[in-house]
Amino acid sequence: MLHFLRRRLLASLLTLFGITTITFALARVVPSDPAVVYIGPLARPAEIARVTKELGLDRPLYEQYVSYLRDLFHGDWGTSLATKQPVLGGIAARLPATLELILLAMTLAVAVGIPLGVYAAYRKGHLPDAGARVGSVVGISMPVFWLGLLLQVLFAEQLQLLPATGRLSLETSVLDPITKITGFYLFDSLVTGDWAGFRDAASHLVLPTITLAAYPAALITRMTRAAMLDVLGQDYVRTARTFGLSERLVLWRLALRNALPTTLTVSGLSLAYLVTGSFFVEIVFNWPGIGQYSTSALLNLDYPAIMGITLLGATVFLVINLVVDLLQAKLDPRVRLQ
Amino acid sequence: MSTLLEIDDLRVDFSRDGRVTSRALRGISLAVEAGEAVGVVGETGCGKTLTGLSVLRMLPDNASVSGRVCFEGRDLLELSAHELRTIRGRRISMVFQSPGTSFNPVFTVGYQIGLVAERHLGVGRKEGQRLVAETLHAVGLPNPESVMRFYPHELSGGMLQRAMIAMAIICRPSLLIADEPTTALDVTIAQQILRLLRRLQHEQGFGVFFISHDLDLVSDFCDRIAVLYAGRVVELGATAELLRRPRHPYTRALLEALPGRSQPGAPLPTVPGTVPSDLDDAPGCSFAPRCPLVVERCFQERPVLADIGSGHAAACHRWDAL
Amino acid sequence: MSVSLDSPEQLPEAFRSIGMRSRALRTLRRDPGALLGASVITFLVVMALAAPLVAPYPSQGRGEADVPARDLAPSWEHLFGTDHLGRDMLSRVIFGGRPALGVAFAVVILAALIGVPLGMVAGYRGGWLDEALMRFTDLFLAFPPLLLAMVISATLGASLFHAGLALAISWWPWYARLARTVTQSLKHEPFIDAARVFGVREPVILARHVLRNATTPILVQATIDAGTVILAVGALAFLGLAAQPPTPDWGLMVAEGRTTVVSEWWISTFPGLAIFAAVLGFNLLGDALRDVLDPKTGTR
Repeated sequence: MLHFLRRRLLASLLTLFGITTITFALARVVPSDPAVVYIGPLARPAEIARVTKELGLDRPLYEQYVSYLRDLFHGDWGTSLATKQPVLGGIAARLPATLELILLAMTLAVAVGIPLGVYAAYRKGHLPDAGARVGSVVGISMPVFWLGLLLQVLFAEQLQLLPATGRLSLETSVLDPITKITGFYLFDSLVTGDWAGFRDAASHLVLPTITLAAYPAALITRMTRAAMLDVLGQDYVRTARTFGLSERLVLWRLALRNALPTTLTVSGLSLAYLVTGSFFVEIVFNWPGIGQYSTSALLNLDYPAIMGITLLGATVFLVINLVVDLLQAKLDPRVRLQ
Repeated sequence: MSTLLEIDDLRVDFSRDGRVTSRALRGISLAVEAGEAVGVVGETGCGKTLTGLSVLRMLPDNASVSGRVCFEGRDLLELSAHELRTIRGRRISMVFQSPGTSFNPVFTVGYQIGLVAERHLGVGRKEGQRLVAETLHAVGLPNPESVMRFYPHELSGGMLQRAMIAMAIICRPSLLIADEPTTALDVTIAQQILRLLRRLQHEQGFGVFFISHDLDLVSDFCDRIAVLYAGRVVELGATAELLRRPRHPYTRALLEALPGRSQPGAPLPTVPGTVPSDLDDAPGCSFAPRCPLVVERCFQERPVLADIGSGHAAACHRWDAL
Repeated sequence: MSVSLDSPEQLPEAFRSIGMRSRALRTLRRDPGALLGASVITFLVVMALAAPLVAPYPSQGRGEADVPARDLAPSWEHLFGTDHLGRDMLSRVIFGGRPALGVAFAVVILAALIGVPLGMVAGYRGGWLDEALMRFTDLFLAFPPLLLAMVISATLGASLFHAGLALAISWWPWYARLARTVTQSLKHEPFIDAARVFGVREPVILARHVLRNATTPILVQATIDAGTVILAVGALAFLGLAAQPPTPDWGLMVAEGRTTVVSEWWISTFPGLAIFAAVLGFNLLGDALRDVLDPKTGTR
């Protein structure tokens, strides 16, 4: 196990190195001049020259790359050309907002997707199955940003049930802000007993979470259903029934356990999708997370910020894959970690 | 001696889109007394496994069943799903052909057997596990406590079949349905399993419904034998009597085809022709096209399984010619 | 299905008709999902091709503005309303099918053209070539979905062409992997051995024997991917990283209507609906194809 982790860690580092190189190369092949991005559109030649020297942009590319790597090693992720603030700090400040959204969406997707998939497989050919199949194919076909807008119009505007944008209402954030402990508003407000704050944060989370969770929930439903259909046709399910075990036991404990590896893999992929999917949801709902940071970084060609986002995204993805692999080994006793 | 299991005119049809696609069982009638071992033999497709499954009503949704299956006086075909679940695994158990695929791969053997005990006997986890260890020991597995913690893929075929038997007897059933329990095992292991089953049967006194295509095997193990052909019982009787003087041409042909009975050097006798399709509805005996003793009457009038003396029954117009 | 023969010469014909293709087509014809998917796609393709003839205001569809008529709600004159520059939304949406479907087909074909040969060769030869390909594709697949495409498109300069290129670059590793897996499973089939024994050269083996058997899973994947690409392009356009105004791109249109979605809901809703319909069509069709062509999940 330790051996496996060691090898995996090494492989991950190599992959991260590769990704950083690719992104650096891409970012520096840029048609635009970073110095101009730094100063702004009204830059004058003399200023551009000065800034270029200041930022070390006149050195050969490989030298810049090496010093970038060196800085990374020391925890310095560079400085954003647009905001002039350290990239690491900028990301860290906005991360909790995005993480809270992603974690909730993932939980919702799994909590809805697995039971629905299991039930659909069990009632194959009947109404619940048809409903789940229709619902899930619709769910994976909907553009996330469109769904968000629709929900916004329907619930926030027409029905006036939920807030349209932001993490907190203006009143709460100005008059009675939630004490910041972790940056996760639901957690922080619960821990400090701030009921009003909790309700406010929760109501703002509803629409974005549902929007983000739709695609993964649909995907998980489909894959769980497929895996369960396979499992339900196996001999050992027939044996369990022959020995008089209840349908509930057979379905939810004995059969599902065999379908979980597939579900786990899909969930891991969904989580990765959520990382970039959250960009769109954050734009639609004006959510102050890394989505907005990333989008403006991309549009402005703010390459230190782009590199930071890519590094973060790839790292998160690698961690998710590692956790999924570890869990797979735990779930299925026949799997050997390689 | 009370009749443990009495199957009376059991018929099973399969259908799809409203049409019957297969008449698999066409009126099976046989009985198993308490503590008795009855062998059910026939070639592939004759309906022997299906009969076993029908007793437990483990049939797919598109099957329609008629007739009576009386177990300890109650007609199993009339019971509700809930009542059936109290019988399965507890009063009637089944041992399957391939233990490797019959166990759930992601749970330990001990857990799976324990689950059956817990659910049916109402015992807690600890007591259940103790029972499991005890039963694993009874089926001849060494080190039951450690075997219990193994996963199915970590055990050999023979050990798994013993574990399967343990799962079948842990609730002390009155009837055990064994569906080709040794077919997937190699010969020496198969012999051990059979000896084990015989010993357990004598110790615990359960009846056995032994399904097999191997007449030799069945003649060793069973007190009485039922021969099936194309969804019907064609002969039924005590093992010794049936083997000594078969009263149906098909039974005789099966016996003659056994390697042990043939002359060295002479070609092995076979039965020409093929089994009729399971939709075939011709009047007359279903074996007629292949029968060496066939007469005109056989094609017109279907022979009924009739008692011909001392518990021996045959479905043949020419039974006394044999 | 029974076939009556009048003469032995009819045998080859008879076998062909009991073949897989007719069975597949019959199943497809009966499946409601497949029918719906195929109809939707056909409809969209026809609309896209015939756009100048079908759209009520073709020039506006291409981008010509009519500012005095801006922000009009749906009416008989403008079934889908007009946008901020007064352009007829119905025409815009119809013309929007062109970049969407065009990019979808282009990206999938390009990604397959690059990925499949590479994957087949690597899967067949094995060894260091295979290892190298695996490491290389691993790198691409280690980027979170869409992120690589976003970066490439941004750095090249946001345009529909660059977005398509970026997506093709992100996508080909999947086809390489798929082709590799299929080739590996086919490598040990007797008919491949037979071909080798008969002296058939490797490129021919790959092109004729392996490819023919590999087309099924690749085709299924490609169909579903066409839909996914439309989603991806729409997403990139929404962010401003793909097609630029005045191109009638669905994603771009949704973005254009975002800020006023409450008052002028039609500007974002109809283009988004078009994306949804297209993706749904491809998904339904892909699912049906998979059910029919995959021997494992054959029976419903």
